[in-house]
Amino acid sequence: MIQLILSLLIGSLLLLSVASFVFRRRAEGSSVDLVEARQALNALQGGLLPAELVARIFDRTDLEYVNMQRSPEVRELFLEERKRIALVWVGRVRKQITRLKSFHLGSARFYAGLDLRTELSLALDFARLLFACRMLEVFVQLRGPYAAPRILGATAATAAKVCSVSQESLAFLTPVYAVRAVNGSARHADF
Amino acid sequence: MDVLQAADDLRRRSLASYTRPLDRLIYLASMRDYNTGLYYHDGLASRYSAEVACEAMADCHREAFRQLVGNSLEELVQQLEAYMASTHTSPADFVTAWKGLEPYRVAIPVESDPLAAQLLFSSFRIALAILESRLHPQPAELTA
Repeated sequence: MIQLILSLLIGSLLLLSVASFVFRRRAEGSSVDLVEARQALNALQGGLLPAELVARIFDRTDLEYVNMQRSPEVRELFLEERKRIALVWVGRVRKQITRLKSFHLGSARFYAGLDLRTELSLALDFARLLFACRMLEVFVQLRGPYAAPRILGATAATAAKVCSVSQESLAFLTPVYAVRAVNGSARHADF
Repeated sequence: MDVLQAADDLRRRSLASYTRPLDRLIYLASMRDYNTGLYYHDGLASRYSAEVACEAMADCHREAFRQLVGNSLEELVQQLEAYMASTHTSPADFVTAWKGLEPYRVAIPVESDPLAAQLLFSSFRIALAILESRLHPQPAELTA
């Protein structure tokens, strides 16, 4: 009987230690979280947020040019296509922002020395951004790609700000030679 | 460094006669082997190496793609019209073939940004619809 109790006790202790190890690893973040955050950041900064691409998708001069063609079919096709692209853009921005948000909620504090004020401001930015993305999706869906230029501008600006803070949090992943190269080119630019 | 020199060389020689981004995109895509994704240019390879020539052409291809994505719809229509004229095909046949085959889908560089590629394909569809509407003007347009 005593042997059974001892075995159960040892078994429970082992189980507890394994569980605590797993949960601690999860809380401290894993390499998967870091890779996902880095991928999200690259997707946002490299593919989704460049000003020229955003301007191209939502450029009204294209609409004016299409209106000049005086073809209702072409106009309808243009608005349909631009709406589709605009919705793809907002959807992807929202998805990548959500990935960055989970990184900040879960792991970032273990790697980046963000102070409480920055963390709170970042949390507010994430909340505002995700809300703005949802609003933009609704507006584009109901009234087309040119319906909410102000929300679009605010979304792109806040997303760029969030990316900048996230980049600082992930700065330790940037190889030293890349930092030197950037610093070097910045110095050259100054001259 | 060699790649930059080779790309510059390519711009000054072979690409000098292709001033529009669409022409450059199509020319550079035609220099790429569909099976391997590698670019071949004998003249450039003899001056540098096959690898450097391939990398330089890939760089120029990406550059042409970026420029074309950045162009307005009006500019794309103008470039498509100019390209159509250079092929000496009848506009009706050209528009029908391009709408059906969508050759622009295979003309973009590998690993292009997916959203930029979608935007460009979408703009091609609209540009072709505009060219088609000019071939068959509506009665209202004729009287206007």
